[in-house]
Amino acid sequence: MVWDQLPLPSRIPHLKSVREVLSLPAVDVQRLTGLAQPEVHQLLTVAAAVCRRHAPLTVLQLQRGECRRCESGLRLSVSCPVLDGLLRGGLPVGGITELSGPSGAGKTQLALQISLSVQYPVEHGGLGAGALYICTEDSFPIRRLQQMISEQAILRSEVPPSVISGLHFSDHVYIEHAADLDSLQVCLSRRAPVLLAAGLVRLIVVDSVAALFRSEFQTEDWLERNKQLLTFSTMLHQLSQEFTTPVLCINQVRGLKETFSLRFNPSRCASFCLRPLSSSVTPALGLAWANQVMMRLMMLRHQTTVSRGDQSSTLRRLEVVFAPHLARSKRDVGVWREGVRGVPVLE
Amino acid sequence: MTVELETANNHGGGEAVTALELLQREKECGSITTFSSQLDRALKGGLPVGKVTEICGAPGVGKTQLCLQLSVDVQVPLSFGGLEGQVIFMDTEGSFVLQRVGDVAAAVVRHFSLVAEDGEQKDAMQTFDMESILSNIFLVRCHDYVELLAELHLLPDFLRDQPRVRLLVIDSVAFPFRQQLDDLSLRTRLLQGLAQQLVSIATRHNIAVVITNQMTTRLQDSQSHLVPALGEIWGHASTTRILLQWEGSRQVAAIVKSPCCMDTAVQYHITSEGFRDVNQPENSDQPEIPLTERRSL
Repeated sequence: MVWDQLPLPSRIPHLKSVREVLSLPAVDVQRLTGLAQPEVHQLLTVAAAVCRRHAPLTVLQLQRGECRRCESGLRLSVSCPVLDGLLRGGLPVGGITELSGPSGAGKTQLALQISLSVQYPVEHGGLGAGALYICTEDSFPIRRLQQMISEQAILRSEVPPSVISGLHFSDHVYIEHAADLDSLQVCLSRRAPVLLAAGLVRLIVVDSVAALFRSEFQTEDWLERNKQLLTFSTMLHQLSQEFTTPVLCINQVRGLKETFSLRFNPSRCASFCLRPLSSSVTPALGLAWANQVMMRLMMLRHQTTVSRGDQSSTLRRLEVVFAPHLARSKRDVGVWREGVRGVPVLE
Repeated sequence: MTVELETANNHGGGEAVTALELLQREKECGSITTFSSQLDRALKGGLPVGKVTEICGAPGVGKTQLCLQLSVDVQVPLSFGGLEGQVIFMDTEGSFVLQRVGDVAAAVVRHFSLVAEDGEQKDAMQTFDMESILSNIFLVRCHDYVELLAELHLLPDFLRDQPRVRLLVIDSVAFPFRQQLDDLSLRTRLLQGLAQQLVSIATRHNIAVVITNQMTTRLQDSQSHLVPALGEIWGHASTTRILLQWEGSRQVAAIVKSPCCMDTAVQYHITSEGFRDVNQPENSDQPEIPLTERRSL
């Protein structure tokens, strides 16, 4: 960084960067540099000033948009006014959003829809860039994506048709398949930064997280699994923060009453400390993963059907399990030819 | 020369005080209301200024919500019994969302507008509005533990320039320290240094320090237990530890460590307005549940 500008008396072994200076206890720095205490203090102050991205801002200044790098309240619309209302605008552009649910609930449907909605310009709720869609389970549902693309004009009837026809949706969904943890890591550490830095992509979807972390580890290896989960989620957070990009992770569920062959089961213990849901299932991967998630959504399938025109759909429900800015609430949802739409709430 | 003088001052309290003086100082310190009268009562007034308080709990239970509430409550005007102070909020998880702060601030302003009685309070309400509340919250976003340590290192200078700050929030300490830090002994040493820094900041600048922590599972005798993260040694960092947890469908705040308050637990919930009491039914005679009756952590 600006190592040369720091007030160091002479060459310092072991310390090669500003960050290293700060990530050691002051006592260690003193010992390594041989400087007196006040000089160490001064060194740390200079290093800290270099490390900080910006001075403390007041929230009023933030609201007025005086800091371009900071949380500006920008949201990514999910292409449905009812669901955008549930989410108070859409997906936040920082942090991990998790969408869990049983198979067939419609999670992939919603993820595909968001991969299209990100491509709209900002004034229409998008971010003006494409999506990186990482599949870990089945192959990518390309036919369904094409069908949704062809029906965008119906889903987004409020957007001028010229805007819609000007967007070449399929060109901007970058599909990756990651069959194991190593290839997932390669994708996130090599491919993703390139696409993000070039501005080609401003949404990362992982469909699903559970698949890789559940299959590759025996239940005894939960410590190792948690470590890998943490590495993976750290990478996602770094990408999300550096490029102000929303990250959507799809997760599976498991039954609350599932018994395990082991005498102890940390996941089971942890699931009782999380908020009881209206369903009998809970998101997979336990507390270690839950601690990394900023917004947790769950999609559940219901028995009833709902119809609109010539189409009918099994009713689903999208529920906000937790989020820092949202109340616990839900909306009924249908999955149609043109996409996922919330059923308007009757007053 | 100046550097040496500074060091002498930084080097520690130095002067001796009597226990009586300490008690008087503590009484004058004040506390920050949580807007839950039951929790305030359990804490003997609210979150103490000059001390470090830790709030732990599982994701989604309300730690950030309580921090946002406190960030607004610290600003309550003196004429209403508040501290009329400012707050510096260090966000490491990205969970500080403007929309939500707005909700909480608006509700507090509404509340005090309704209860304002005498002239002094009504005057205070002229300047206690949304804009002023947002202008008194300083936000710092830390993306990893190095940035957090850097900010804390620069904090004393900031506090000297902003003497009205009465609250420091770090939400959360656990998040950055559990990522990227594989060397557990280094982590422990850094956390110990951090704990000392926080105590020093709290006492020297007379501010309330509130830190949030995650929960983790620990294996003991083939049983898994839910415990606050960051290890046993970190448990000594705070004076008071409040554990937020779900009990069935209820949300309970349990004071599990405190020098002055008995182990108690109170029920709370998060409304659109913020952190609040749960209205007790008329015939309920024990809003506070002694911890001995409950399973201990």
